[in-house]
Amino acid sequence: MKAKSSQYSLWSYVLAHRGQVVQGTLLVAASVAITVSAPFITRFAIDALVDGSATWPKIIGYAVLYLGAVALSAIMALGMRKILLSLGHQVEYEVRRDLFARLALLDYYFYSRERTGDLMTKMTSDLNAVREFVGQGILQGARTTIGFLLAFGVMFAINTQLALVMLFLLPATSVLFFLLLSIIRRRYEETQAQFSRISNFCQESFAGIRTVRGYGIEDRYNSLFAGLNEHYIALKMALSRVERPLWPVMGMFFSFGVVLILWVGGRQVIAGQLTVGEFVQFSQYLFILQWPMLALGWTVNLLQRGLGSWDRIRAILDAEPQIKDAPTDGSSTKALSLTTPLTSQEPDAVSFKHVTLCLGGVEVLKGIDLQVPKGQTLGITGPTGSGKTLLAMLIARLLDPTSGQVLVKGCDVREMRLGELRALIGMAPQEAFLFSDTLANNIAFGLEDTNPDIVFAAAELAELHTDVKAFPDQFETLLGERGVTLSGGQRQRAAISRALARDPEILILDDVFSAIDTQTEAAIQARFQSFLTSRTTLIISHRISSLRHANRIIVLQDGRITQAGTHRELIQMPGYYRELDEIQRLQAELEHTP
Amino acid sequence: MQAEIEHEGKLFDHTLTRRILAYAKPYLWPMGWAATIILVMALIHSYMPILIKTAIDEYLIPTSSSKDADARLSGLTGVGFTYLVLAAIAFSLRYLQSYLMAWTAERIIFDMRSDIYAKILRLPLRFMDRNPVGRLMTRVTSDVDAMQKMVSDGLVGLVADLFALIAIMGFMLYLSPTLAVTLFAVFPVLFGIMTWININTRRAHRQVRAKQSSLNAYLQEMITGMLTIQLFSRERDVSDRFDHRNSDLRNSWFESVRWVSYFFPSMEVLNALSVALVLAVGGVAVVQGSDTITIGVMVAFLAYIRDFFRPLEDLSDKSTVFQSAMASAERIFGLMDQDEEVREPEHPVPIEQFRGHVEFQSVWFAYSKEEWVLRDVTFDIHPGESVAIVGATGAGKTSIISLINRFYDVQRGAVRVDGHDVREYSQYALRRRIGVVIQDPFIFSGSIADNIRMNNPAITRAQVEESARYVNAHRFIEALPDGYDALVQERGITLSTGQKQLLALARALVQDPDILLILDEATANVDTESEQLIQDALKKVMRGRTSILIAHRLSTIRGVDRIMVMRQGELIEQGTHRQLIGHEGYYRRLYELLAHRPV
Repeated sequence: MKAKSSQYSLWSYVLAHRGQVVQGTLLVAASVAITVSAPFITRFAIDALVDGSATWPKIIGYAVLYLGAVALSAIMALGMRKILLSLGHQVEYEVRRDLFARLALLDYYFYSRERTGDLMTKMTSDLNAVREFVGQGILQGARTTIGFLLAFGVMFAINTQLALVMLFLLPATSVLFFLLLSIIRRRYEETQAQFSRISNFCQESFAGIRTVRGYGIEDRYNSLFAGLNEHYIALKMALSRVERPLWPVMGMFFSFGVVLILWVGGRQVIAGQLTVGEFVQFSQYLFILQWPMLALGWTVNLLQRGLGSWDRIRAILDAEPQIKDAPTDGSSTKALSLTTPLTSQEPDAVSFKHVTLCLGGVEVLKGIDLQVPKGQTLGITGPTGSGKTLLAMLIARLLDPTSGQVLVKGCDVREMRLGELRALIGMAPQEAFLFSDTLANNIAFGLEDTNPDIVFAAAELAELHTDVKAFPDQFETLLGERGVTLSGGQRQRAAISRALARDPEILILDDVFSAIDTQTEAAIQARFQSFLTSRTTLIISHRISSLRHANRIIVLQDGRITQAGTHRELIQMPGYYRELDEIQRLQAELEHTP
Repeated sequence: MQAEIEHEGKLFDHTLTRRILAYAKPYLWPMGWAATIILVMALIHSYMPILIKTAIDEYLIPTSSSKDADARLSGLTGVGFTYLVLAAIAFSLRYLQSYLMAWTAERIIFDMRSDIYAKILRLPLRFMDRNPVGRLMTRVTSDVDAMQKMVSDGLVGLVADLFALIAIMGFMLYLSPTLAVTLFAVFPVLFGIMTWININTRRAHRQVRAKQSSLNAYLQEMITGMLTIQLFSRERDVSDRFDHRNSDLRNSWFESVRWVSYFFPSMEVLNALSVALVLAVGGVAVVQGSDTITIGVMVAFLAYIRDFFRPLEDLSDKSTVFQSAMASAERIFGLMDQDEEVREPEHPVPIEQFRGHVEFQSVWFAYSKEEWVLRDVTFDIHPGESVAIVGATGAGKTSIISLINRFYDVQRGAVRVDGHDVREYSQYALRRRIGVVIQDPFIFSGSIADNIRMNNPAITRAQVEESARYVNAHRFIEALPDGYDALVQERGITLSTGQKQLLALARALVQDPDILLILDEATANVDTESEQLIQDALKKVMRGRTSILIAHRLSTIRGVDRIMVMRQGELIEQGTHRQLIGHEGYYRRLYELLAHRPV
């Protein structure tokens, strides 16, 4: 393990349940002890039979005793499994809980770096490996160690020579098994690599089907696919050559053990140094130790994997968000006190002071200065990739500026508590993310409770309420894969409703009309009239119709504000905005002239 | 196929089984051999405890024989050798058998996988558009794997287990009918208890899987929507919900652990019960001086009990393998039964080379019923002519291209190339003579050269370079770190939009097509220099070939022989640029719009 110190360690999770660990281990010891003692009973029974001292009540007595011993050991074994395996699941639960809590804290920077698929892998298969490490690791580790010590203690006490044979035989089995396992693992990884090559090939040829078909080269792809598969089969057969004989080889090895005991032990029996009962007892130990010895290789593998996985999980647990509440100096009220400034004039709802933003070493916003007075609407437009959405993200503090300041109600957003800042803002992002939940819960997502009146009012404002009537369960309709799939326009209107439902002071609409037809948009705009007067609004759009009513419009190009003014002013000036206006008018004309 | 519901497969389905067996048919011989080997193996394996019995009764127990120590010792050595030899034979046979079966399974699955893949390549585009690539991949990957498991392990394992059980029972009866019958009497009870625990373990496991996938789905959704969650300050609420699912999963694990904890101990107890029975019944018999039951027989029975339980333990695993294989088979054959729509003619008209005469005659076409995308379109393009199709979005331009290379079939009317309906040609041969250039071409992972020759080994490097040079792509390719061998896509270099377009041109040209279809959609992000290179290349490749363009670049439109104006699925005007621009019409408005479009 890395020396890097971390506030999270796997041991602290395990040791929190030390009572269970102790209990489980004691049960393991007890169960193993009984299992090791049971062959004594068969030995006494057989010896009694051989020397003729046996009577039938005595024999039945041995049989019952044997059964009783095994039953007792089984009860212990039941307890040990339950306690130790449950411990694994409890730790899994706790680590997963803490992981999720950490994920909820992590920010845009983290999520733009990590892929969802990788995070999922860490939260599933790595977590599984850690669980196995804790549960099976302790269980099998304790069982193998205790079983080995007890069984050999007994064997050496009975017969040194036979015990030595076993001592040579069993570890050799473990080593052989472990070696085979590692070869198998290596070959397995090779087949997996080839398998993902096949997957990628399929993925490409299905995704690029138009190209493949357009060139009429299906037969070529069929034979390429066959080639990949032939190689895959070759690799799999190479795997089979070591994997298939794994158990037969182990079986062979045990047969060898049986024969060794037969030769060495048999010689002693004939010489009268060993009884037949003792001989049978030894061969029983061979079978008792068989599984723990094999499990040794498996357990070592488990521990290796578990540690590797834990390192990956800890990397998430230790990740620090860049965007977080400023260290509290006891005043979350600081922000609020700043909103009542010395001057009688109310501060701008949103303002940017010389804001520059770099992402991945590229300047994406350059020297932005901007004021949006309370109650006003600002329109933002510009070509794709000019930084419009980033501007919106800075206000909600999903990103921090590289230099300069973003102020909301006169206060630097970095000095406000995240919760308080975001409570002021209702934002409908470009790609609305809807949860697979009811429509009502999606609209009321930003509220503590789903209030049906608020939901309906918000949906009505966004012109969604008429569509809802056609849904199977109206507002209670499930969205997503197992429910209704919304059209692009409906998604956008749901996102608008969600932003409105919070009754925000600052409303940010990021290109949310693009999939909504112009008539519906006009209807929404009309409903907005009274709603927006009391709020500050930012509308990002490519559409003149969405922008024209704004108090002020800015044009962003390549991270800079290149034009600013009202609709009237901007269409007078040559530039991006006028060009956009002309194109859109022509388009409308082409679409509508008969 | 639309909504895929995971369901437990049936254990046995007549039609499916017949179709699976059809794939197994070419491999009847190896499968027969495997079965024979299994039979022999089962016999050898169950004979081995008899050797132990002999050793104990004949050579170990002093009272049982009058032989002297030396004879007993050499007898013991002999038994040991026989045991080893038999173990070695059993090992080799087992190895041979499982290897044979693994090979057979791989071959069967190979055939199946190839068929599925080829089938998917033939499926109609509308099917491909409706089904996400991920789902189709599942057919070729995990569904096929489930089948493979069944063939290689499940099926043969079942036969092997059955043989082993029969052989063991036979030997037990042979050694001691009394002991055997006593044990057989309790076996059904033991088997019943085991099955009960097994069923519950599996149910608990299913529950765990269901909870796990619900948690995974939730997790995936939350990770994807985390910024939205933060924006609305719902972190606490979402964490609570997650905790709910998380503890649900933990609790169902606890339940599963409970049953798993029962499983092994009860196996041990049941095993011990049989041992105790052997001890009691056998022991009493020995005490009473039985002829058939000896100490050796008892020890052999102990070995048989172990062997008897092993196959029973994994019987229920096998039924899981069968179930999931059947569910996969259902999905696989469901896909195989999909209608291909665009069919090969029985006697295709051979194609040497096209002169390049393309005709549309009263073509009506819709992607879905009655929603006409093309209405009564008729035109005639002469060999060598270059034609641009213009119109607003959704006017039906792309559909015209898709009909010429027969991605779809028309509903009414006919599309003809060189006087024959396209349905009379082999679709593959047809498409090989027609080059399609797309603005955002699909780049496959591999080298630049492979991407140009589209993996056609018959095309030489010289030809690749020649066409790259011709379409002005040679210069940027040469500048790449590995030139034509530079890897693109996965872990390779990223090409700019302009470079991809030049690549697409080279790719089309190297096939030396007779007819060129060019989809010149409006694209942003192409710098002026690449733009000029593309323009120049387009002009060169169109020279002397019938070329049909869907054009957005004014310079290309102006350069063609004829312009066809589409509007809402109808062909409304055609003529040269000069003719069309000359009068106040739709084309003129369209032209103005194009002139404004920022590049």
